[in-house]
Amino acid sequence: MQHDDPRNGESTHRSSKKPKISSQFITESDIRDEFSHHHPRVARINNGSFGSCPGSVLAAQRHWQLQFLRQPDAFYFNSLRDGITASRKIIKDLINADHVDEVSLVDNATTAAAIVLQRIGRSFAEGKFQKNDTVLMLHCAYEAVKKSIQAYVTRAGGSVIEVRLPFPVNSEVEIISELKKSIDEGKSNGRRIRLAIIDHITSMPSVVIPVKELVRICRAEGIEQVFVDAAHAIGSVKVDVKEVGADFYVSNLHKWFFCPPSVAFLYCNKSTTSSDLHHPVVSHEYGNGLPIESAWTGTRDYSSQLVVPAVLEFVNRFEGGIEGIMKRNHDQVVKMGKMLAESWGTNLGSPPEMSAAMIMVGLPSRLCLNSEKDALKLRSHLRDCYEVEVPIFHQVPKDGEEGVRDKDGFITGYVRISHQVYNTLEDYEKLRDAINQLVEDGKTCKMLFKE
Amino acid sequence: MASSLHSNHTQICPNPTALNGGSASDGKSQISKKPRLYADPPPLFTPSDIISEFSHHDPAVARINNGSFGCCPSLVLSAQNQLQLQWLRQPDNFYFNQLQPKIIQSRTIIKDIINADHVDEVSIVDNATTAAAIVLQQIAWGFAEGKFCRGDAAVMLHYAYGAVKKSVEAYVTRVGGYVIEVPLPFPVSSVDEIVKEFRQALRRGKENGRKVRLAVIDHVTSMPTVVIPVKELVTICREEGVDQVFVDAAHGIGCVDVDMKQIGADFYASNLHKWFFCPPSVAFLYCKKSTNNSDLHHPVVSHEYGNGLAIESSWIGTRDYSSYLVVPKVLEFINRFEGGIEGIKKRNHEYVVEMGQMLVKAWGTHLGCPPEMCSSMVMVGLPACLGISSDHDALELRSFLRDKFGVEVPIYYRPPKDGEEGGVVTGYARISYQVYNKVEDYYKFRDAINQLVDSAFTCASLPIS
Repeated sequence: MQHDDPRNGESTHRSSKKPKISSQFITESDIRDEFSHHHPRVARINNGSFGSCPGSVLAAQRHWQLQFLRQPDAFYFNSLRDGITASRKIIKDLINADHVDEVSLVDNATTAAAIVLQRIGRSFAEGKFQKNDTVLMLHCAYEAVKKSIQAYVTRAGGSVIEVRLPFPVNSEVEIISELKKSIDEGKSNGRRIRLAIIDHITSMPSVVIPVKELVRICRAEGIEQVFVDAAHAIGSVKVDVKEVGADFYVSNLHKWFFCPPSVAFLYCNKSTTSSDLHHPVVSHEYGNGLPIESAWTGTRDYSSQLVVPAVLEFVNRFEGGIEGIMKRNHDQVVKMGKMLAESWGTNLGSPPEMSAAMIMVGLPSRLCLNSEKDALKLRSHLRDCYEVEVPIFHQVPKDGEEGVRDKDGFITGYVRISHQVYNTLEDYEKLRDAINQLVEDGKTCKMLFKE
Repeated sequence: MASSLHSNHTQICPNPTALNGGSASDGKSQISKKPRLYADPPPLFTPSDIISEFSHHDPAVARINNGSFGCCPSLVLSAQNQLQLQWLRQPDNFYFNQLQPKIIQSRTIIKDIINADHVDEVSIVDNATTAAAIVLQQIAWGFAEGKFCRGDAAVMLHYAYGAVKKSVEAYVTRVGGYVIEVPLPFPVSSVDEIVKEFRQALRRGKENGRKVRLAVIDHVTSMPTVVIPVKELVTICREEGVDQVFVDAAHGIGCVDVDMKQIGADFYASNLHKWFFCPPSVAFLYCKKSTNNSDLHHPVVSHEYGNGLAIESSWIGTRDYSSYLVVPKVLEFINRFEGGIEGIKKRNHEYVVEMGQMLVKAWGTHLGCPPEMCSSMVMVGLPACLGISSDHDALELRSFLRDKFGVEVPIYYRPPKDGEEGGVVTGYARISYQVYNKVEDYYKFRDAINQLVDSAFTCASLPIS
């Protein structure tokens, strides 16, 4: 290994005198085996989009699938409900919720958003909320969430306030100040803010938001309910729902918590949320509470909801369990980010303490990344010609604002790199060299074509 | 006896084109067309091929409940596994380059099979339960946005599926709609009985100047199972000025004839994992283009919102979409049966009727409907002496048959009508026939019930759970 093996939990030196039993923790070669189904040549530095799942968890999933196929009726009547409850109990403990009733399993954060926002929509339609009461969200909220707000809130007569977060961001103070400004705007003209949707970790550009502080501010300002969209959170930052204090909190388990596609949990605070939350796909379980409704939405393959125990086994093979994994992912992604920024002469999009297992790294201005289309083109080009998978963000320069510069011009593009247990130094070197090659060859985004 | 059930499977047809037909309607002749993938078409499955394709089924169970959860052959499961591995290997590449074209391919195949005009009319969703939520959600908006008046009606069958009834409660009753249930006789002896009840219910729906905004009609009811004359009922709906007709055909494709233009409904939903050999779970929702359905949305809103239901449904966040993508492989599978899907449907129907008649003869009971009103499932009366006197009894007896006899069959409780004397049949088993079944499955069931009768078993004697 050409760098400190992060998996042994030592960041300062390579020591052969580690006082442990040799088979105590998962080894490097075990990890390679667990992810041997990944494309061997692709530098896979986009764990954020679709996550990853180790072989042993996939095997557990297969076992559940075969049980259903073998005798589906027996499975439905005797095994399914208990299996889902077991997963929910594990999650309840992981996230420090009070009751397992507060934990529902759904397909993904997109579904959770539909559940919460459908309720808001009903409240408008049934006259509980006044026309033009407001929903507050971040400007960089995930596109699906924005559309969900359009479908269920705007359509029902509600209005929307977007909080513009600065990017690149230098400190949490900047975020807090923007939120306060937007809340004032939202409350202007006697409007009530019925719901605030706050990302725990934004998607593009990716930044860790100080949710606990923002939730506190929302409460102090009289916002009725807070929904934390933490799609990226579990397995990448600490998740303590009581500490965060939101009414709703959702996180995908297939992104950073090694579940197969797809499964997420939606936490609903028992004391502050009503029982009038429903899964939009209505089954015979309608009215039996959201966790029960979500556990049966018609005949489906529920196996991804059933493997949480197998995932726990997997993460506990690592030193420090999930905490150890989170810490090492964070340290490595920061280290790799700095390595790239230095090589390219650019910057990081946020300070290290505002990143988790992903970080934004500025791209050389000479690439002339001037639109969303350019970003997509570059991403495809890196995939097709360099076997590097990394999402790319176009930073729209704000009017009248000084952007960040490198030696040649304004930095308008960022890569969102990630680090997960299967990554190696070579992945990031591949990206580094690819970008340097493009710059050396005088390529701009406009010149790129998909092969 | 066993060999006669499988004799058709062993015939190797010398002339591939002779496999076409078995059905008079032009629209369906495309179904038996062999895919032009091979110089010579692949051979028909032998009985031992079929056993092998379903070797993952529990061999100790007489599996006569294909209706609830369907089945999926190994050939298709392997194809699904390949797709899952492709995703896991490089998900971004799969998302950007493979997923959409493959979904379109599935939709196109379905469009041809169901005789729809445009592939735009075909959306793929998880199951009929989801399709119902989609159709009903736009009805809810109709009320909420004042397009409909409070008290406008929705009509559904009394035997509508439980999930659909709840969906109607959630999306219609809750927002001020008035719901009418069409009572249907059971046992039923002719389609006329059904048509009569339906007409009467529609008249009730229109009383006091109400408009009937939606009729939800099952193509094949679930419990008790009967094939409903949907084409005729849709025609009546049009005559009576019903706004929209939604046919819930959860048991449709692979089980009964599914021709969108012939049936003429605005919406038609069918599961592909029940009778069309897809893995759990996948269904299609057909939405007639001429209907004003720009307002149909998938309830799980993604960035594709507003791009049309088919596109919205093709991306509802990160999911395993592999079950949506194996339809081409399923076509390969069914084309290795004589007559393709038409042949399968025909034989399933014939054998389930044959088995049903064998059972009612052995038990001294009766079928729940005439043979022409059943598909590949039929309701078979259980001996009255078993004393099935509640839904609970029916469920308990079902568990008892599963646990003690290795027989999987759903049981329906039919409350006795006023004036009916004691000794009347109150329980019916819904038996099914699918390509993996053998006569021994039904003998096992026959003998289990006979044993219970001989030992003077009653449901009252089952332990209270």
